[in-house]
Amino acid sequence: MPGKNILEMKGITIQFPGVKALDGVDFSLCEGEIHSLLGENGAGKSTLIKCLTGVNRMDEGKIILDGREIHPTGPGNAIELGISAVFQEINLCPNLSVAENIFVGRQPMKHGQIDWNEINRRAEELMSRFHLDIDVTRPLSYYSTAIQQMTSIARAVDIQAKILILDEPTSSLDENEVQLLFTVMRQLKESGMGIIFITHFLDQIYAVSDRMTILRNGHLVGTYNINELGKVELVTKMVGKDMDVIFSLKRAEVKDGAEIVLKAEHIGDASKINDISLDLRKGELMGFAGLLGSGRTETAEMLFGATKTVRGDIFIDGEKIEIKQPFDAIKARLAFCPEDRKRDGIIGDLSIRENIMLAVQSRKGFMHPMTRQEQEELADKYISILGIVTPDCEKKAGELSGGNQQKVILARWMAANPKVLILDEPTRGIDIGAKAEIQRLMLEMCKDGVSVIFISSELDEIIRCSTRIIIMRDREKVAEVDGSTCTQQDILRIIAEGAA
Amino acid sequence: MAGVTKKQSLWGRLTNPKYIMVYATIAIFLVIYAFGAFLYGNKGFLTVRTFVNLFIDNAYFGISAVGMTMVLITGGIDLSVGAVASLTGMFIAYGTTVLHLHPLTCIFAALVMGVGLGLLMGWVIHYLNVPPFITTLTGMFFARGVCSLISRESIDIHHPMIDALAGWKIYLMKFADGKWVRIKPIAFINFNVILFLAMILIGAFILQRTRFGRNIYAIGGNEQSAALMGLPVGRTKVLVYGFNGLCSVLAGISYALYVKSGWNLSLQGGELEVITCAVIGGTLLTGGVGYMAGTLFGVLLKSIIPALITFNGNLLSWWGKIATGLLLLLFICIQRVITASAGKR
Amino acid sequence: MTMKKTDFSGIMQSKVTWAVIAEALILLVCFLIRPDFFSISYQPSTGMLYGSLIDIVNRSAEITIISMGMTLVIALGGTDLSVGALVAVAGAIALKFLRWDVLTYTTPGDYTVYPYILVLGVPLIVCALMGLFNGFLVAKGGIQPIIATLILMVCGRGIAQILTDGKQFTTGYSPFRIIGQGSFLCLPMPIIITVIVVIAVALFTRKTAFGAFVESVGVNPSASRLSGIKAGSVILIVFMITGLLSGIAGLIYSSRIMSNDSNNAGLNFEMDAILAVVIGGTNMAGGRFSLAGTVIGSLIIRTIVTFVYYFGIVAEATMAFKALIIAVVIVLQSEPVRRYFAKRSALRQARSGGAK
Repeated sequence: MPGKNILEMKGITIQFPGVKALDGVDFSLCEGEIHSLLGENGAGKSTLIKCLTGVNRMDEGKIILDGREIHPTGPGNAIELGISAVFQEINLCPNLSVAENIFVGRQPMKHGQIDWNEINRRAEELMSRFHLDIDVTRPLSYYSTAIQQMTSIARAVDIQAKILILDEPTSSLDENEVQLLFTVMRQLKESGMGIIFITHFLDQIYAVSDRMTILRNGHLVGTYNINELGKVELVTKMVGKDMDVIFSLKRAEVKDGAEIVLKAEHIGDASKINDISLDLRKGELMGFAGLLGSGRTETAEMLFGATKTVRGDIFIDGEKIEIKQPFDAIKARLAFCPEDRKRDGIIGDLSIRENIMLAVQSRKGFMHPMTRQEQEELADKYISILGIVTPDCEKKAGELSGGNQQKVILARWMAANPKVLILDEPTRGIDIGAKAEIQRLMLEMCKDGVSVIFISSELDEIIRCSTRIIIMRDREKVAEVDGSTCTQQDILRIIAEGAA
Repeated sequence: MAGVTKKQSLWGRLTNPKYIMVYATIAIFLVIYAFGAFLYGNKGFLTVRTFVNLFIDNAYFGISAVGMTMVLITGGIDLSVGAVASLTGMFIAYGTTVLHLHPLTCIFAALVMGVGLGLLMGWVIHYLNVPPFITTLTGMFFARGVCSLISRESIDIHHPMIDALAGWKIYLMKFADGKWVRIKPIAFINFNVILFLAMILIGAFILQRTRFGRNIYAIGGNEQSAALMGLPVGRTKVLVYGFNGLCSVLAGISYALYVKSGWNLSLQGGELEVITCAVIGGTLLTGGVGYMAGTLFGVLLKSIIPALITFNGNLLSWWGKIATGLLLLLFICIQRVITASAGKR
Repeated sequence: MTMKKTDFSGIMQSKVTWAVIAEALILLVCFLIRPDFFSISYQPSTGMLYGSLIDIVNRSAEITIISMGMTLVIALGGTDLSVGALVAVAGAIALKFLRWDVLTYTTPGDYTVYPYILVLGVPLIVCALMGLFNGFLVAKGGIQPIIATLILMVCGRGIAQILTDGKQFTTGYSPFRIIGQGSFLCLPMPIIITVIVVIAVALFTRKTAFGAFVESVGVNPSASRLSGIKAGSVILIVFMITGLLSGIAGLIYSSRIMSNDSNNAGLNFEMDAILAVVIGGTNMAGGRFSLAGTVIGSLIIRTIVTFVYYFGIVAEATMAFKALIIAVVIVLQSEPVRRYFAKRSALRQARSGGAK
């Protein structure tokens, strides 16, 4: 049973230029409680957390910690107050060792010097709590994202804070690692720590939390005990509208005898892909399923020329082509929305107009520029087709919300009029409303004769939309199943055991 | 990965991949040294004296490189060091020779000026968010301008204390026939060499053994993360530029002792030579990576080239510049190959 | 109405505006102290216009020309440190071709040993190739621009010295004199060349999509590549342009002194060019660039120097003085200060709105 309240946030209001990011939100946390914070992107979860850690200044409201009103001035100050946070992006230093990342800023000292032996010893201890037996003196960049994420959790845990904030800590972890994290979370909870947990995975919320608080558009929807609310009600409260849209989507169907647009034969390279063959028909939607690192993203990158193809051939419309760089792929009317929107997709400082016209322009080459008017017409057309929320096409793309950024990237490729569109995790990290819309767009494009390759970690999404699904495992294609007849269990079994 | 031995032996620590660039510097230095020994061994290249002279002739670069390494590790750059060192020389020369002040007074004034300018630049860089390149370039113009305001002529320094300090030396001895005798050809180390080595040690201590030093690395690794981890980013950056100001002043003192004069145009372009030393010592201009041991050998590596050209006697000194450029190219290529192969893991 | 207001606050937040204001203020001070500062006179004997303003533009020619290329390099998120050394290289090659064999042609006179086309062409080609070398290290080697160009900065002057055996030649060849000292349409030749270069670069970047590609690569190289931009080619072209422009500046410089000076030609030009670009409002982190801003930035730097000479402030103070004014401009342009002004103007708007 949760103990007494340790944290009380009352009437928190934060004003950003043009929008109220938070409007009079109340939140409370008890000792020994795991409290999930839920809401779609832009609902205000991160803003609330940033306010608690002193990154954002609040305009109105009170934060009371252990009965005393506090005014965190920054992450350093928040840590002193006993609030420590793990953010979605890994906020560590890649050049420092794992051990040091855990202790930097509060290293144990001996004779006025840093006690390195102590640091490494304690770091090893901590990591072994997570069942990680690694050399903690190696630089962080040496290790996988999952280990890096674990390191940042270890840092937060070791601070011995009263409040631990975990903002999407599980997005880069596999199932075992998630279970491990949960074990640690429960341990910490037993010791009386209050944990604020943010995640997009509904199952995880039900697995560990005691209570949940739902935000929508900067407003508080309510705080509920975990057994008070079922999943459907939860989603409805998060989205604020019915989920019918998503269930009314119709799978992409291919006419018999539709010609093959894209064909890959035994492509592979030295390290990332062993051997993949596939053929994609006109108007088909092909799903790629598999775990992270199974080869699904790597195949897409190879088809698009983002990484080099060492072996095998690629055919477009039956004609063999050589794809050495993305430019070649674009010439052959391929398009690719990469997984990491921020790093590989959006060009933040440029306007929406420029972001949209980029692929068309680069195919033409810079010596054949589009006029300003052509660019504006193109941008305005897709802003209205895709329903991008913006005052005009001159707004910086980096200032848009995640879902709108994704739409801008989609617009860039739709404008290029592709034959084959590859979408790598287009729905990750965006809210359910935008997710449904992007799936709808995808399917509409298939209807218009575009062939789509759709990569997603969410199997229900893939099964709902795909004509055929390719399942990958250990850098190879292990099975190809029909989207209309297979079930989630089938796919999971193949991913786990291989095609038997 | 799980198989890596957990208890860190000395060997295990030394073979940590992060030191690889330092080893590369040392290896290249040894190769060039061996090359010199092969060509000019009979002309006295192999003597202790030649080796010690590398330190004596380049101590001021080395002292400045200590501070520069720290600045570069934070991901910044400081272009003002040459001008600040030159200004320090002007302070001492003008102060003692024209104003008849005590050298210590002049040195104190120089310290206030150098550290103050460094702190100010650090503040502008962090709190006004002006790129370090531009801020310190302006600092360089300013210091150089003040230099010229003081005097356009070279001023000799004549003061008993300066003379004593400049003339002070410890002869290297060897034990032979039951007593200590000076080695032949005579070799000695002076105040500058001791100051240089002391600064390297102090720098290494700060970087490896203090929280301040580790914060420098953290900031260079990822400044935003460092801030979110609660590290004092602003304070650290300001202090690093202040410390570099201190190093520039010490380098200026060392240079004044070396040439016993002050000149408004001395050490022009010195900042880039110092940066070159740090880079060929394995410090990354992107920040986050760099070691004092590397910088020490970087300085030696850069100073051995003019020494080789002197020994040759026929080559124009311009070849020194070209050789340094080629060395830089070689080093950068090695760095690329190493980081590329590390990235493939 | 509201539209206009937001436009205004946008202008106040733009760095270019501050650069224009700074230049106007400096000129105003000049005018207040010496009302004849703006006077321009015509000298019939030379057929040229004279005056402080003309002099400022004329003397800023080399930096303006180089900084056109530097703007593009900085927009890509890099810096080119080698431009000053390339100025020296260009001068050394030109003089070498003008006076190849010093023993035969002992006195400098109105002649050239090699055809004039080589005197002009070879330095430009060599500088462009050196720029290409920089670009190659950056684009294909993946080396940080500042380091890649440090190599040529360090050894460029050495190359210039070796080309001329460490000697300084002088020449009296009159067609060569025209580049730096001649006139066209009553204006000094360097101004004409500068105008041509500025217009050419502006047309090349803004009338084609090249400028947009440069900005795109500068903001996000990875995303640009995945959008089909050949980032490598863009980088190569930009560095080659910068090298070529450095060569042009080098010819102007050596024509002014009718000599080569491998030690001092183009000394600190890289610094001045980078300053001009930054004062002109282009962010050193890359992205959006403004060629007009750069021109103004270059003029500011030169105006300060002229100001110092003109008003008889001891010439030695130039550097310190320049530093002070640049410091003021940079602080005014810095993000926190601009944000502060933006906030204040927003407050004032809100207040006047409330009063209605």
